[in-house]
Amino acid sequence: MTHDHVADRAAEELAATLADVDSDGALQETAALAFPETRGGFLRRSLALLSGLGTAGVLASQSRAAPGLTKNDVAILRFDLVLEYLQAGLYTEAERLGELTPETLAWARVVGAHERAHVQALKGLLGRNVVPSPSFNYRGVTSDEQAFTKTAVAFEDLTAALLKWQAVRLDSRAVVAAAVTLHSVETRHAAWIRHEVGLAPVTSAFDEPASQERMARLIASTRFVTSPARTVASGRPRFTG
Amino acid sequence: MNEFCGEFGEVRRATRGRMLARVAGGAVAALGGGVLIALRPEAATPAPSVSTDRKIFDFALQLEYLQAAFYSAAVDGGALRGELLDFAETVGGHEREHVAFLEQALGPAASPKPRFDFGRATSSEREFLDAAVLLENIGVSAYNGQAANLTKPALGAAAKIVSVEGRHAAWVSALAGREPAPRAADPGQTAAAVTAMLKRTGFVQ
Amino acid sequence: MRRFAVGVALVAVLVAASKAIPEPDLTAADADRTNAPAASLRRAATGVPPPASPAFSVGEPRLLEHAETTGRYAPVVNPVAAVESPRPDADPVVSLLPTTDEGTDNVVLVLGETRRKGRSWVHVRLPVLPNGRTAWMPRSALGGYRFVRTRLVVDRARLRATLFEAGRPVFSAPIGVGTAAAPTPAGEFYVRLKLAGFDDPFYGPVAFGTSARSAVLTDWPGGGYIGIHGTNAPELLPGRVSHGCVRMRNEDIVELGRLMPVGTPLTIL
Repeated sequence: MTHDHVADRAAEELAATLADVDSDGALQETAALAFPETRGGFLRRSLALLSGLGTAGVLASQSRAAPGLTKNDVAILRFDLVLEYLQAGLYTEAERLGELTPETLAWARVVGAHERAHVQALKGLLGRNVVPSPSFNYRGVTSDEQAFTKTAVAFEDLTAALLKWQAVRLDSRAVVAAAVTLHSVETRHAAWIRHEVGLAPVTSAFDEPASQERMARLIASTRFVTSPARTVASGRPRFTG
Repeated sequence: MNEFCGEFGEVRRATRGRMLARVAGGAVAALGGGVLIALRPEAATPAPSVSTDRKIFDFALQLEYLQAAFYSAAVDGGALRGELLDFAETVGGHEREHVAFLEQALGPAASPKPRFDFGRATSSEREFLDAAVLLENIGVSAYNGQAANLTKPALGAAAKIVSVEGRHAAWVSALAGREPAPRAADPGQTAAAVTAMLKRTGFVQ
Repeated sequence: MRRFAVGVALVAVLVAASKAIPEPDLTAADADRTNAPAASLRRAATGVPPPASPAFSVGEPRLLEHAETTGRYAPVVNPVAAVESPRPDADPVVSLLPTTDEGTDNVVLVLGETRRKGRSWVHVRLPVLPNGRTAWMPRSALGGYRFVRTRLVVDRARLRATLFEAGRPVFSAPIGVGTAAAPTPAGEFYVRLKLAGFDDPFYGPVAFGTSARSAVLTDWPGGGYIGIHGTNAPELLPGRVSHGCVRMRNEDIVELGRLMPVGTPLTIL
C-alpha cells in the first residue's frame, strides 16, 4: 500500500468517525478543514460520498462494534482517540525539542505521559475499531513558549468541555465510568497550565460542555493535521552501486 | 484503600474534642450497627433512576456542605494570605453555589447539614493546604464513582461540578507544592470509602 | 462494656456543659444526634449504589527516555533556499525541492532550531556535496517532525554495518564498501528514502538512499548518491568492492528493511 493510500485511508476514517456523530453535515465541513493538505482532494470526494449514501451504508464494514460497544460509542471513542493522538504528539514533541521554559517543559513531560497513556487505553478499548493516527505538523508551536501555552490552554479547556458533552451521549455506562476518570484529569491539566501562565485556574462554579463540532473547529484552526511523508517508492535505484 | 488514602495526604487534628468525638464515634458504630458495605467492582449496579439520582445528590450535598463550611471557616480564621486566601475565597464561593444547586434540586428531602469542627486546618496555612488537597481529591473521587449511576440529565449537572472540583484540586495541589495531576486517570471511589476517608479527618461531628 | 462507659461519660460531659440552659430531654433520637458523629453523612452514604465498573483502566504513564531519541527528520514541503545562517539575507547554499527524483518526499535531518525575530529557523543536514554540509532554512519550509530511535553505524575498517535501536544493537551484517578509487565517504549522514518492489538484481530486493554522495563519481547519473542495498554477488562480501555504496546480502537488507526507518542517522566510520 503506497503512502498515498495510507494517508487517504486515515483521512477517510477520521471523516467517517466525525460524520458518524453529526448527521446534519456541519461536522463534515469542518472535517474537510481539518485536512487541508490531503492529496488529490480525496477527502472532499469521500465526504461527498458519505453525505450521499448516509453513514450507515458506507460504515457498515468499518464500524462493527466491539462486543458491548455501540456504533455511537465507537464514533465518540474514535474522535477522542484522534484528539489524544494530537495532544500526545504535541506535548511529546515539545518535550523532545526542549525549547520551552522549565515549568512548561515539566508540564509537557507529565501531561504528555498522561495523554500517551490515554491513547493506549482508548486503543485497547476500541480493538479492531481503532483508527490510526493522522500525521501531524506542529508548525513551530512546540518550540514557541507563547504559541505552545496558548494552544495547550485551549486544548485542555476544550477537551474537558468535550468530555462532558460526550458523557451524556454515551450509550455504555461502563464507558461513562471510564471516561469520567479521564475527564477530571483533563480539568487538572487545564487548571495547572492556566495557573502556570498566570490565568485563573477556574473561572466559574460550573464548567460548561462543548460539542465535537467545536473541537473539530479548533483542530482545523491549528492546521496540525497533515498527510504523512512519503518515504518509500518503487523506482529503480540509481545509486553509485 | 489505605494506599489510596495515602495519596490524598493525611490530615491530623489534635484536639481533645476530636479525640472524644472519635471515641464516641467508635462507640456508636458498635452500638448503632453502622456498617461499611464491602463492594466488589463487578457487583451489579441498579439502572439509573430519578430516585437514585436523589440519593447520590444527597450524598454529594453532604460533601459540598463540608467543603463550603471548610472554606468559610478558613477565610474567617484569618490565617490565610495572598494567593491562598484568594483560593479559599474563590473556591468557597464555588462550593456555596454547588450547595445551593443541590439543595434546590433535593428540596426538603435533603439530609441535614452535619456539624463540623476543623481544628487547626482552618487556622494554619500548612494544615489548610493539606486538608484542601484531601477534600478536593475526595470530591473528585466521589463524583467519579457515581457518574455512571446517574440519569443523563443528572450526569450533565454532576459533570459541570466535578470539572470544577478537578480544577480546585490541581490549583491547591500546585499551591501545596504537590503534583497537580498525580495520575493519568482519577478512579472513582465507593460512597463507603469516601465516608471513611472523611471520618478519618475528624472534621464531621 | 468499656465503650458503653465512654458513651455515658460523653453524655455526662455534654449535660454538664449545658447547665446554663434547660436540660434537654435526651431521647434516643437526640442521643443519636449528639453521640453519633457523621450520622447524616453516614446515612446519606448508605443510600448510594456501588460504582459501575469502568470499561477500561489507564495504565501507568511512562515518561520519555530522552536518550532513546537519536534524531528527527521532516519533509521539505515548499521549495526553499537553504542558507548559511538563520537570517533572511544569509548566503544561499542550495535549493531544495519537496520531491526527490525517486518520487519520495525530500526529507532532511533536523539538527537544531533557533528563533530570530519571532521566526523559527531549523539547522539541517543536507544531501549535497561536500559531504557533511549543513545549512539553515525557515521552519515553515518543513512538514511535521518524525522522531527516530535508531542509528546505523557503517564501519569501513571492520566491514560491518550495525543498527542500534535506543542504544542497543539489534542488527549486524557483513558489508561491501567502496574501492580505493571510489570510496564510501566517512562522516555523519542520514537515510533519505527507501526503494522496494523494483526489478534490478544488482541492487537486490531493497535499497536505501542516503544523504551521502560520492566525492569521486560526481558525474554519476542521479547525482552519485551512496546507497545501502542488496546484491547479486554476495560472494564478494565482505570486501572493498563497490563504487561507494554499502552492499549486503539480500537476506540482510530485507531484515534491515524491516528494522530501519527512513530518517535514521547514519555514521560511516
